[in-house]
Amino acid sequence: MFDIIINVMVTVSWIFTSVGTYGIFRKCGVKWYYCFIPFAREYHIGLCADREKEGRIYMVLSVLYDVLNVVNTFFGEGTVPNKVFSILILAIATGVAIYGIRVYLGLCRIFNRSKKWLFMWIFFEGITSVIWGFNKSFMPSKQVETIDRNAGAKVAGINAKVMDMGLTVNITERTAIDLFRKKILLKDIHLNIPLGHMVLLLGGSGAGKTTFVNAVTGYEKADAKILLNGKDLYADYGKMKYDIGFVPQQDLMRGNDTVALTLSDAASLRLPASVSYDERKGRIQDVLEEFGLASIKGSLVEKLSGGQRKRLSIAMEFISNPSLFILDEPDSGLDGVVARGLFEKLRAIADTGKIVIVITHTPDRVIDLFDDVIVLAKDASRTGRLAYYGPVKGSYEFFGKESMEGVLLSINQKDEGGEGKADEYVGKYSEKLKEKVG
Amino acid sequence: MENKKTRHKGRFSQTFIYLGKLFRMFVFQNDWKVLPMAAIIAGLVCYVIGANLFKTMEGTAMGTFAVSCICIWNGFFNSIQVVCRERAIVKREHRSGLHISSYIMAHMIYQAFLCLCQTLITLIVFRVTNVTFPEKSLVTGWSVIDIGITVFLVTYCADMMALMISSLVHSTTTAMTIMPFLLIFQLVFSGGFFSLEGFAMKITDFTITKWGLRALCTQGDYNSLPMVAIWSSLIKMENLEILGVKPIHEIAKFIYGNEDYLNAFTLGCGSLNQKPEYAFSLESLLQCWGFLLLFIIIYASIAVISLELIDRDRR
Repeated sequence: MFDIIINVMVTVSWIFTSVGTYGIFRKCGVKWYYCFIPFAREYHIGLCADREKEGRIYMVLSVLYDVLNVVNTFFGEGTVPNKVFSILILAIATGVAIYGIRVYLGLCRIFNRSKKWLFMWIFFEGITSVIWGFNKSFMPSKQVETIDRNAGAKVAGINAKVMDMGLTVNITERTAIDLFRKKILLKDIHLNIPLGHMVLLLGGSGAGKTTFVNAVTGYEKADAKILLNGKDLYADYGKMKYDIGFVPQQDLMRGNDTVALTLSDAASLRLPASVSYDERKGRIQDVLEEFGLASIKGSLVEKLSGGQRKRLSIAMEFISNPSLFILDEPDSGLDGVVARGLFEKLRAIADTGKIVIVITHTPDRVIDLFDDVIVLAKDASRTGRLAYYGPVKGSYEFFGKESMEGVLLSINQKDEGGEGKADEYVGKYSEKLKEKVG
Repeated sequence: MENKKTRHKGRFSQTFIYLGKLFRMFVFQNDWKVLPMAAIIAGLVCYVIGANLFKTMEGTAMGTFAVSCICIWNGFFNSIQVVCRERAIVKREHRSGLHISSYIMAHMIYQAFLCLCQTLITLIVFRVTNVTFPEKSLVTGWSVIDIGITVFLVTYCADMMALMISSLVHSTTTAMTIMPFLLIFQLVFSGGFFSLEGFAMKITDFTITKWGLRALCTQGDYNSLPMVAIWSSLIKMENLEILGVKPIHEIAKFIYGNEDYLNAFTLGCGSLNQKPEYAFSLESLLQCWGFLLLFIIIYASIAVISLELIDRDRR
């Protein structure tokens, strides 16, 4: 009898919670049917509370909790597996409770309600959710951001002409699946970069700069065709990866190795096996001298200054003489003079007939060294789009600005302190391309 | 011709590149410190349990359990952080052509060297602290070498398990959080020291300690050793009076007066408490070593597979 009463109460509470959550989801702009889908409800409550990460963990822990409970019913009471699973369930239940508290505290904040409501949520979840869902005095201060995939500038879809020498990028789309939605990270990016050009990759936070670089280098493949000197990078990635040098933002090297040995190991890894020992030694010596590292070749990496470390990081990639050279914020943490010296070095590398693409957040101090600029912008659907590609001077005219900082300001979203003109410029550039193609 | 032009260093050559790096780290960084640490731990264990190891059943059960524990401890500490602390570097190098199998193989060779050194140190400490080694040997003819192989395998197996964890997790904090749980699991489910039954006993098949403990007890000829616990209890209960008489005193007096009787008594107690799984047989020992080798292969394979997915790491 007692069991029946408990079961009835649990069922009634579940129905009340579902109905109440329906009201909350409608107020917060979440699709209403998620309130009836187990586990999806936990995640979307997290979204309503503006705590996506917590909602995600809350959902995962809830899944684990229920799965373990179901599995535990197959074991006889008092058996060892039953005891083990009961302990695990207790551990998971603690996590569910903590993340539940975090999510509901977030909900109290979004609905501008006292934290005391948390106790109501814990002990009377069904009734509380109905009150919050249907009482008009309970309104959220912020709605869940919904992304209209059809929003944003139209797709030009004009493929860049394939170049025999140089880099041809034709990215149709780069997507990622994230729980309940498909995200389009990049869309409709088509461009050609000739050999010997040094290109600035400009874009605000979340515009897709790193995603673009990863797609171009083949690290994360997109729905795209990337050709380097006429060869399909994706089709022959195994061989072509040696023709690409990517210098990450952080100096990823072992601090306890010497400069010479770090470079020697990089050479052993990147140079073809046919290169003789003497040739390799000669190449290491040349690169050490070229990057001003010869005098400190016996020093430990951890003892180097920021500028020296950055030069070594670049030298590690340069050792294999790649055609395409990409650098992610090589000047971060460097002062103006050292940064200028570094970019002059990169200019010299480009002048030897290589393509150098650089991401930097302080481009204006070295902009005279660049040939072209790629401007990526986040459109209304939060997708990275190409807002401009061409000469640096042309970009000033195109955006009506006098500095790269100004360009960035015009394409950044309003909530990021920008002018929010990304879609306008993506559309304008698209039209410009169409005119050019005829 | 085209293929020949673009060929790069293969797995074998890359293994040596990384091996060089690791040995440089051993000399110039702090990796060498695991060796004196092994000596100190072995010394402490010998001080506490060394006197009765391989002499009595109880001393052997307790001692081999302690030896297994120090092996697990040494192995875990050798490599729990080695991969996760440089995960971002490995990711960069993987994108530049590093073969993960070469990277793990280099670690396996280097860790084997470390474990071998630790085994030698442990055996030297045993010898210095006068731990008695068994007289009989099952494989090589020298019991010290046989036991050395077991100590090495248990240490190396724990080392590979830690290497696997280090490859699976993304930070040293996570690795160091998981390690105590694994250690406790290995100790509790050793299957020899704590009495377990049914499902719990089945779990012990998957622990390193079970096979290490079993191998050491087999090599120590556990089943032919005397059991002294009952005699010790009798002595303590000597003056217990039951209805005005001291029956245990009579028995104790009888046995205590003659050393042959005492030996016969303790050996008799031992023979009645033998464990078939500790039988002094080559087959039993090889089975233990076989399981340890199997675990080593499984752990190393999982490490390789998990690191092959390193490019998927989020920024």
